[in-house]
Amino acid sequence: MKMPGMTIRHASAMPAPTWSWLKMNDVAIRIPDDLERNCQVEIEAGDALDNTTSFEGSVAALQERIDAERQGGQADGRAMITAATGADRGAEELDIPALSTYEHRAVLSEVSCDIASDFETGVGVDMRAYLNFLAGGTAVLAAEEGEKAAATVRVTTHEGEASGASFDIVAAPRSTFSVVLSLDSAADGPAFMGSTMRVFAGADSRVDITVYLTASDAVTCVEDSGFVLDEGARVNVRHVVLGGAFTATGLAADLRGDRSRIDVDTSYLAAGEQQRDFNYIIRHRGRKTVSNMDANGVLTGTSRKCLRGTIDLIHGAKGAQGNERETVLLASKGVDNKTVPNILCDEDDVAGNHGATIGHVRPEQLFYAACRGLSQKQAEALFLSAKLEDAALQAPNDEVRANVVRLGNQIIPHFEEEIA
Amino acid sequence: MSATPLLDIAGLTASVDEKTILQGIDLAVGAGETHVLMGPNGAGKSTMGHVIMGDPVYTVNEGTITFDGADITDLSPDKRSRAGLFLSFQAPVEIPGVPLSSFLRATVAGRPGLEMKGKEFRRRVKELAAELDMDTAYLNRELGVGFSGGEKKKVEMLQLLLLQPKLAILDETDSGLDVDALGVVSRGMDAYRKSTDGSLVIITHNTRILEHLDVDRVHVMVGGRIVREDDASLIPWIDANGFDSFEREAAAQLAAEREAKPAVAVDPVRAASMNLGAGMVQSLRATLDANGAACGSASTGTAQ
Repeated sequence: MKMPGMTIRHASAMPAPTWSWLKMNDVAIRIPDDLERNCQVEIEAGDALDNTTSFEGSVAALQERIDAERQGGQADGRAMITAATGADRGAEELDIPALSTYEHRAVLSEVSCDIASDFETGVGVDMRAYLNFLAGGTAVLAAEEGEKAAATVRVTTHEGEASGASFDIVAAPRSTFSVVLSLDSAADGPAFMGSTMRVFAGADSRVDITVYLTASDAVTCVEDSGFVLDEGARVNVRHVVLGGAFTATGLAADLRGDRSRIDVDTSYLAAGEQQRDFNYIIRHRGRKTVSNMDANGVLTGTSRKCLRGTIDLIHGAKGAQGNERETVLLASKGVDNKTVPNILCDEDDVAGNHGATIGHVRPEQLFYAACRGLSQKQAEALFLSAKLEDAALQAPNDEVRANVVRLGNQIIPHFEEEIA
Repeated sequence: MSATPLLDIAGLTASVDEKTILQGIDLAVGAGETHVLMGPNGAGKSTMGHVIMGDPVYTVNEGTITFDGADITDLSPDKRSRAGLFLSFQAPVEIPGVPLSSFLRATVAGRPGLEMKGKEFRRRVKELAAELDMDTAYLNRELGVGFSGGEKKKVEMLQLLLLQPKLAILDETDSGLDVDALGVVSRGMDAYRKSTDGSLVIITHNTRILEHLDVDRVHVMVGGRIVREDDASLIPWIDANGFDSFEREAAAQLAAEREAKPAVAVDPVRAASMNLGAGMVQSLRATLDANGAACGSASTGTAQ
């Protein structure tokens, strides 16, 4: 049955919005008209495909432990707490600050310390609901304590179809879990595909997630994820976004446990009229937690990109460090590039850094390339092919590499021969 | 030299931001010849290399550049390169995001006789890298990013050997190099000459790099002009005496030319307004206009 098209508004929203006229706070995701629901997802996980473990159960166990640790602690008498929870929001007292809607919500979250209700994904609850509907159920991939596990998830779609995957990854304490997620489609006409993923990284576990998005120019694609990290957990995420008419990539991470760490490495490419949207939210709640967000992209043609990166250093996250960096190469003049680094801080003993290098190809670089026989158009194609070549070389398996090569052949003539 | 030079520059005058940098340059380089362009700092040597290559920063005001029988004065730099011209940069640029191997592959793509399939290309590049004592790990690194000065120059030589141009302009390829790197660059130039019998125009301050080369002509440039041409015997003379005498001669010649020039008509407003702001200039012009002073009717004395 064909479904009417729809628009999911306020997706990939920044936690603390900026001026609305900048049009960067969120994005509207348009699901094309007349798509038929057809879930085309393959999961290769061997013993890791598990019916006995649950994301909710792992979160509940962590909640229990944290609640036990909090019991008997001193009551928090800060003015902000009174402002958020006191009678009439502390309006009677002169030194109680007025809170913004965002601050009010943040303080309530801090007070309740409820991991399940704090859980979020990067793109947001509406898209997650739609993807769950497309998937028809959620698979659980679990690694047992001390175990090494690996899984590959493939999502595809065809013209006139909408396909979605929903899965949870639960890494028990001291386990290692490597996951490859491939979102690939060669559809010639309008199509949709997406994936929503919840990840629980247990104490001292290590989770590596590699996501390759290699959709053709006709596909709308969404990749949504949310992470909860226990003490000493280490998560590495690599997002490689190379194709798709419109793509939304969202990641939200709750660094709940002390000394937990997440590194997010994003590599993207947008050509022609393609649009890329990224929303990263990393909340440091545990002490000495670390996050690094690195994005590196190339934009050509009249493509558009918006990257929102929020590091939230919440009260109590003493010794936490959050860093975000982005390097964007604007290979032609018609591109529209937006970057919103955002650091929120309610703790003294923390460090938050952000930086962005955004540059057009400089005239001297173009002249150098021209001196080696490359016209401006060929130089632009070179930036694209270099990004694709790097993605092909670092592909986690032959199948993903073949997807990159297929996409490369559509953009760069003889791409496959060149990298053979 | 053969009857028709490979590169023939005639009466070339070029400027940047309305400032003349090259004046009346005549230079002819025959096929297979090695020419050396020398001169003090700021003489315009690098500018000449860039103008020959078609750098859009410079404007050619007069003259022509003929290469391999075709007028290339208005040709874009990429087409000049494809025609067989090569410029090795004094300070090669960095291009983040583009691995050296990808860049090299793009430069040979579509060149008759040079285009190679993936494996053949990699083999060829590795051969050349070995010839230049260059670590092949650099091939996977972003072009120029984090390369030492010596490595950057090696990359320039690698491209020279890969592209096999008919004529290569080497702009101070030897500058800032230690003895070992200098040896590598010399080997690169030798290999280029042996493999292609191409022509070389070497821009340098350092005569040491010329020791192993058979130089056909030496050109000395001062103040944007070629002030002296001679055979290779000029090199040891310059080594011993420097450029002072050339600079003095050039200054004297320039003064004589200015002396001989008729007085130049100058807009009186412009002459009077050299040190005034825009608002005051307008005011001055309005006053002069009101008094009936015709612009450009007055003349100054000899330019200083």
